[in-house]
Amino acid sequence: MAHGLGGSSDLPVPYAYAMVGAAWALTFTFALVAFAWRRPRFDPDAPGHPLPSALTTVIDARATRWTVAGVALAFAVWVVLAGIWGSQTQANGLLGAFYVLLWVGLVAASLAFGPVWRVISPVRTVYLLLRRATPRRLSRPRLSYPESWGYRPAAVGLFTFVWLELASPNSASLPCVKSWLLVYVVVLLGGAWWCGQRWLARVDPFGVYSMAVSRLSPFRRSPTTGKIVIGNPFDHLPSLPVRPGVVAMLAVLLGSTAFDSYSSSPTWRNFADRLSRLAHGVPATLSSSILRTIGLLVFISVVALTFSLAARATGGVDRGPRRALPGQMAHSLIPIVVGYIFAHYLSYLVERGQQAVIALADPFGRGWNLLGLAHMQVAYVLSTHPPVLAGIKVACVVTGHITAVIAAHDKALRLLPAGYQLTGQLTMMLVMVGYTFTGLYLLFGG
Amino acid sequence: MTLRNTVFAALVTALMCGLVACGGKSPSQPPAAGLDVNVTIANGQVTPTNATLQAKVKQQITFHVTSDAPDELHVHSVPDHKFQVAAAPNQAFQFSVDVPGNVEVELHHLDRTVATIQVQP
Repeated sequence: MAHGLGGSSDLPVPYAYAMVGAAWALTFTFALVAFAWRRPRFDPDAPGHPLPSALTTVIDARATRWTVAGVALAFAVWVVLAGIWGSQTQANGLLGAFYVLLWVGLVAASLAFGPVWRVISPVRTVYLLLRRATPRRLSRPRLSYPESWGYRPAAVGLFTFVWLELASPNSASLPCVKSWLLVYVVVLLGGAWWCGQRWLARVDPFGVYSMAVSRLSPFRRSPTTGKIVIGNPFDHLPSLPVRPGVVAMLAVLLGSTAFDSYSSSPTWRNFADRLSRLAHGVPATLSSSILRTIGLLVFISVVALTFSLAARATGGVDRGPRRALPGQMAHSLIPIVVGYIFAHYLSYLVERGQQAVIALADPFGRGWNLLGLAHMQVAYVLSTHPPVLAGIKVACVVTGHITAVIAAHDKALRLLPAGYQLTGQLTMMLVMVGYTFTGLYLLFGG
Repeated sequence: MTLRNTVFAALVTALMCGLVACGGKSPSQPPAAGLDVNVTIANGQVTPTNATLQAKVKQQITFHVTSDAPDELHVHSVPDHKFQVAAAPNQAFQFSVDVPGNVEVELHHLDRTVATIQVQP
């Protein structure tokens, strides 16, 4: 039902696992506040360990870039063609590619390799090709991107994606997914035509999503030499650009994942059924969609509000700097988001991902068998071992939490005035413990 | 402080291993005969809704449906099942599930979840 993919979902995490995870998270947090370092350790300008410069040369080579971009574009076209001419059912490969390979696969790829969407984004490739094909006089960007918008358009874009997945009347509807993609392409190409590449860097929801997650990756570009280096992700995290809408963007990611868990719990379902019975005359699909939209908005707002308030709750700073605090702390939300997305969607990525690839090997239902994939069977490696899966899920949430509190602690030491460094981060720690407890509770089954 | 950390880490690890072991060693029940669920659809109302049930992989699960309107019963499992519900009493729909997971059984036209079956290995 959810995600438009059918099939079963993960079994709830056993109570003991959730409790152990919660105990870990709580003890670690307070041990950190009480005993940890008192001088900031992590520096976004840290040089990192340089990798052989041949690697940077190969990765930056035009041939590499265009090959990777071309392959990604071809794959995207393939998926869209499957969506248009393939069987118009839930088995269509477009749904799996859109909801699983793109939404979750992008997190895994960005975490492992850095901001890959910049390279593989099909819209960017099309834009660059169009720009080459037209005379310079016509294709020159006419406006500059309004920097006061920041990442807000991307946050809105991400919200429309999660709305389609979790709150629209039918997330499995191919016409809806195709319309979403059409609007996405038109908005990005149109905006980029007027404002240039910066539009793509700020407005493309997947680009911003990938950029944010990539701050947790060990690989990065050296801020001084531009070469690819390997370094401590804790040094990389604070390099998240602070722009308007950055907290909202992360809140959409965390709030929607939490709502996805919550909306499949019997508590929510009974509540939704009762309300829809009260709303006579309104079709059940419409009323439940409206209710889920409200639920989704509430979850996202709660995350955004609690995080912003917690970041601001400190003594010893003036109004101006205080207002800047949520943005400056936003990077510490990334590990929680990534941990929770993996906890929630790992089995989707591994198992539904296989299903999507198999479906795409025979996109039009004509018995094609590309690369011999079409006759493969999905290996349910995670679902068939629930204790292992539950252990991985709890480990993801707890690791994300621990990483987040370390990052928040260190940044607080840098931002807060002496004398308020301990008290000033207490609220943030409590809020993060709150997120993690809620996350574990939802994994346990709500 | 290092010693304290080490002792603490060791304690928590021991606790965690203990709990995982406890969780893994839950007494394996003999294969249950089968799960039977009675569903009634009358005047657009379904009983039960949003029930939580327990089952095992490959166990026979039977839904006995009494309905006053045609509908479709969707079982979101691996493999998935779809049954046509007619406006008739005592229709039996039998299936089993191959892959462990949370399996939702929903009525497609009424858009109601009848039950979520936690299928354990």
